[in-house]
Order: sequence, then structure tokens, then C-alpha cells
Amino acid sequence: MNKSNNDGTSDAGSPNQSGLSRQQEDKLAASAEKDMARRESVVVDDEATVVRREKSITQRKEAVTRRENVAESREDAAHRREGTATLREQVIHTADTGQAIPSDQLSMMQQANAQLVISVIEAQKLAEQVETTKAQLHHLAHHDVLTGLPNRMLLQDRVSQAIELARRQGTRLAVLFMDMDRFKYINDSLGHPVGDQLLQSVAKCLTDCVRHSDTVSRQGGDEFVVLLSTIKHAEDAALSAQKILTALAAPHLIDQLELHVSVSIGISTYPDDGQDAETLIKNADTAMYHAKENGRNNYKFFEQEMNVRAVQRQSIEAGLHRALERQEFVLYYQPKVDLQSNMIVGVEALIRWQHPQRGLVPPSQFLPIAEDGGLILPMGRWVLREACRQAQVWREAGLPPIIVAVNTSALEFRATDFLENIRATLEETSLEPGYLELELTESVLMQDADFTNTVLHGLADLGIKLAIDDFGTGYSSLSYLRRFPIDTLKIDKSFVNQIIKNPDDAAIVSAIISMGKSLKLRVVAEGVETPEQLAFLLAQHCDEGQGYYFGHPAVPKKLAILLKTGVLPLP
Amino acid sequence: MESHNLLRHQIIKRLMSQPPDRDADAAVHLWKRMATQIIPIIGEDGFSSLYARSIFLAQSTFPCLAAGPLAPQSDHRFAGLKTSLEGQTPAQASEANCLLLITFTNTLAALIGEQLTNRILQLAWGIDLSNSTAKEIPE
Repeated sequence: MNKSNNDGTSDAGSPNQSGLSRQQEDKLAASAEKDMARRESVVVDDEATVVRREKSITQRKEAVTRRENVAESREDAAHRREGTATLREQVIHTADTGQAIPSDQLSMMQQANAQLVISVIEAQKLAEQVETTKAQLHHLAHHDVLTGLPNRMLLQDRVSQAIELARRQGTRLAVLFMDMDRFKYINDSLGHPVGDQLLQSVAKCLTDCVRHSDTVSRQGGDEFVVLLSTIKHAEDAALSAQKILTALAAPHLIDQLELHVSVSIGISTYPDDGQDAETLIKNADTAMYHAKENGRNNYKFFEQEMNVRAVQRQSIEAGLHRALERQEFVLYYQPKVDLQSNMIVGVEALIRWQHPQRGLVPPSQFLPIAEDGGLILPMGRWVLREACRQAQVWREAGLPPIIVAVNTSALEFRATDFLENIRATLEETSLEPGYLELELTESVLMQDADFTNTVLHGLADLGIKLAIDDFGTGYSSLSYLRRFPIDTLKIDKSFVNQIIKNPDDAAIVSAIISMGKSLKLRVVAEGVETPEQLAFLLAQHCDEGQGYYFGHPAVPKKLAILLKTGVLPLP
Repeated sequence: MESHNLLRHQIIKRLMSQPPDRDADAAVHLWKRMATQIIPIIGEDGFSSLYARSIFLAQSTFPCLAAGPLAPQSDHRFAGLKTSLEGQTPAQASEANCLLLITFTNTLAALIGEQLTNRILQLAWGIDLSNSTAKEIPE
């Protein structure tokens, strides 16, 4: 068998078993290859066609799906429309059914539903009212009713928060404790409605003076506290305090009255003056008292030394409340002497406090505190009653009749029942009004001249004697000497003390005596301590003298002996 | 629930903002149609209570809205509301009524549920509240 070349690579031109030449075989092979390539190409083309067809089919499927989706959407929409239509039909059906239901049952169902609705709404209203009331109670618990300002409780909270913030941020804050000067006089003389309006005006003024981030609170009464939540230096607090003093100095128009007020401000700062709210507020309060003692209408920074005095003051204030109940007050009587006859013609009743631990406390240590704390009113009434009672006891004991003088504070004088109380006391003690003299300072007389005039004439009509105390140190207005029914002028001891050494004081005393004579007033020189002073006063024809030269204030028993013997002790 | 609320609110706002004939009469017309649907369910007293509550709540924003009981006659039931709205500028009247409707439907929804409220509004106003497109169904 001839070996054939299956791969067709036999030599060209040589005959093979088929009888074809090599060239012919080559051509055939080439032709076959071409055919193969063509067929392959057709297959490839067919594959592409298949892919295209597949793509087309996919696209068609997708298109169908989309159409189906659209159809579904349309169906959905149709369903929804049908649903709506069904709803309407249901309503119609319900209405139809309703006609079938007995009308009383339908009516009862409606009524039941109505009651449910009404009940639920009422419950909602009640719940709202409860919430509103709770909110109001919360507001009331934290705010002052009169001014709407934060109260003591809310201030305490705000100061505590401000301290925490300052502690974290390393900043400072200030507390300004302020008390209106002589607010009690305004309240007593013009009435509480005016006082309340004034407090509201002051509250607004204070709020206008500080930043929104600061807190203005009312502690009660006429006390306000301002929290300056952030300050850089203590001087910032001083600037704010000065701003407040200036703003409050402007007149407050209340009920067509122009009222002038001032405040005394105490300042404490964190971290210097305290680490907690309570201490800061307490120290600012202490500083405020010092501001008041320094002449009012100013501000004072807290100093640690103030605490000692504050403790003393607090102790006195607490003790004063008990003193009246425990009858710890006593009256001493200082004689007034007729300079011509050298006879005792009157006494001035002077209060002393027989303190169980501290002994006899002079009035200078407790009267200002009593005045600030409002105790001066019951204290003054006790003095009046006791002095009248004692004067009557002396009279009934057969001692020479003398006039007993009692000091009257502005607070007592402005009290609405002042006259009535005097009348009742005289009646109760059976003392004749002519033996009672009231000593009033010029400042008391200068407030509200019309009111003063009415009260003074009321007193004079009763037969009570009226004296102007400390004359020369106040307004020394000549017009009220003419207008008011005054009996006596008491020359202040500060002039009498200097009449020998100081010609000016001597001239003033001479002028007062001369004026008193011209106006037919009795003139009493206070604080007479030496024979030289007495000689000067005698030379000027002064009527009476009072002072250590004639006698120290004495207890009733001792004074009774003086009155009985008619002999004054040697100076 | 919030989205439903918003949707209902939007529809009320849209209804109240449609010019030009959305005057007091048109506003009252909305109320009348709503009352027609609600009164058979909760009675005249229930509707009045709801309405009075809504007026009270809306008055804090629009004090012009008249308080007081609804008139007993169905024809004049909203005479007070109409008078209140007529006393305002069109814009104010529209805003006031819009708030009143929202308040009323809010209260209703709180009582009977959002779904039932929406169904009632659909019937009253012919509004489709079932989807977010909120189409108005032609009558």
C-alpha cells in the first residue's frame, strides 16, 4: 500500500492513487479550506445572528414585562377606581341598610357616638387644663407673683448652674444683692398699691439694666438680687451696680406721683467670696448692709471681715424679736431742767435693752436694726404706752407734774392708726394729754406736708405737746415752724457741745434761741455737759436744758427720788 | 402616620389655595360636605363638639374665628364661620380655614383613626387619599 499524505503535502505534479495530479490535489485542498473558512464564517455569522436574536428576544421579553407592568399599573389604577366606586356603593348600601334599621336604634347609635366624641374631647380639655395648671404652678413656684421675676428658689438654681459653668470654664460671676432705701416709708405713707407699682417699676428698670443672660430676681419685700452670670473682672460688677444706681435714680411715675428711690447694693463674686450659691447670696446680702450703713444709694463689695459684724447683727435681730415678748426692754428717763428755776420740768423716755447675756445694750446698737426689720413700730408703741403709764404712776404717787417726752419714728408717724393708737394709749393709761410730748425729727415732718399737717393738728387738738428733735441738723425749714402747731425746738447737741469752742456753733445756737423766742416756742438745749455751756445758754435766755450736766438717763425709781426731793445730783 | 397626616394637610392646603373661586362660600362648602359625611356617624352633637374644639384650638392663631355653637339648621350651620371668613382678606381667610380644617381633621383622626378619617374625606371631597399622588377624583 502506498503511503498517502493525509495532510496533502505530497509532492506537486506527481500522480497519486486517485489519479489526480498534485496540483489538482492542492487546488482541491485549497478549495476545501476556503469552503471550510466560508462555512466557519457562516457559523460565526449564524452565532452572531443567534446572539442578536437572543438579545432581541430578551428585549422583547423586557418590553413584554414592561407592558405587563404598565398593564398591571393600569389594572391597579382600575382596581383603585373600582375600590372607590365600591366605597361609594357601600355608602349607598349602608344608607339603604340604615333605612332598614329602626330609626330609634340608628338614633341611639348616633347618640352613643356623639357621647363618645364629646367625652373624649372633654377628657382632652381636662388633660390640657391639668397640664396648663401644672405649668402655672411650676411658674408660680419659681417666680414672684407681683413682678413676674424669678424668685428666691429659681435664683438659687440659676446661681448654682452659673457656678458650675464658671468652674468648668474658669470664669467669674457676680451676685448683686440690693435693698431699696426707705421703701417702708413709701409703702406706709402712700399705701401698698403704690408700693407694689413702685416695685414693678424697679423690677422693669433692673431688667433693662442687665443682659438677657443675666438674672434679675425678687427675694421678697423690697429686696432684689441680680446674677451677672459671666464677668471678666470684679470691676464689671461695679460698672453694673453703678448703672443700676443711675437708672433707678430717675423718677418713677406711679399714679401721677413722681417717686424717687435709691438702692443699696452688696456685691459678691465667684470664686473669691464663696463656692456655692447660698454663700454668695449671703455674702452679697452682708455687703449690702454695709452699703446701707455707708450712707445708702451706693454699692459695696463683700469683705471677709464683714461676716463678723453680720453675725453680730443677725444675733441682735433674732434677739430683738424675743425681747418684746420677754419684756427685756426698759425705759430710762433723762431730766429736762428749767434753766431759770433749775427744776425738773420734764423727762425724755429713752429705751434700753436689758439683754440676758450682753447686759444693757445702748439704743445705737439695736435701733437701726429694729428700724430695718420693721420692729420699730411695735417697739415704739411699747415705749409710748410704758412712758404714759409711768408718768401717770408718778402723778398718782403725788410727785410734781412733769411732761414725759417720747421719740416718734417716721414709721409710727405714717401708720394709718397712729392718732387712734395715741388716743387709746392715753385713755388706757389715764394720762392727761398735756403731759405727753412727742419728739419728731425734721425729716419726719418734711415728708408729705399735707399728711403731716393733718396729723400734727390732730395731735395738737388732743392737747399733746409737739417738739422738733435734733433741730438744726436737717432741713431747718422756717415755713413748717410757722405752719405746724409746734411747741418746742430741741437744739441738737452737736451745736451745744461746741458753743464754747466754736463761735459759729455759738452763733447758730443764739440764732435758734432767738428765733424760737420770736415764734413763741420753748427752746431746749440738748447735750449740756458743762457749767460754761449752761452759762452761755442762760445768757441767751434758753428755756430748758438736757444733758449729763443735769442728769444721766435714770431708771424710774431713781428719777422718782429726784422729783420728790427736787434736788439734782451734782454733775 | 406622620406621612398620612402630611398628605392630608397638603391636600387641605391645596384645596384652600385654589383660585379663583375659593372664597368664603367655597370654604363653607367644604365644611358642609364634610358635615354631611360625619354627622350621620357621630351625630349633630358630636360634630358640634369637634367643631367647637377645633375653633378653640385655631383661635389662638386666628382670633377672628367665631366661637359659639353651630347653627342647628344644616343650611346655616356654618353661617358664623362664613361671617368670620368674610371679614378677613382672602389670604387670611384661606389660611384661617386651612388651619381650622387641619385642626378638625387632626382631632377626628385622633378619635377614629387616620384610615377612617381619610375615607370620610374621600367621600366628602372626592379626593383620593390612598396614595401619595393624591389625585382629585373627577365627579
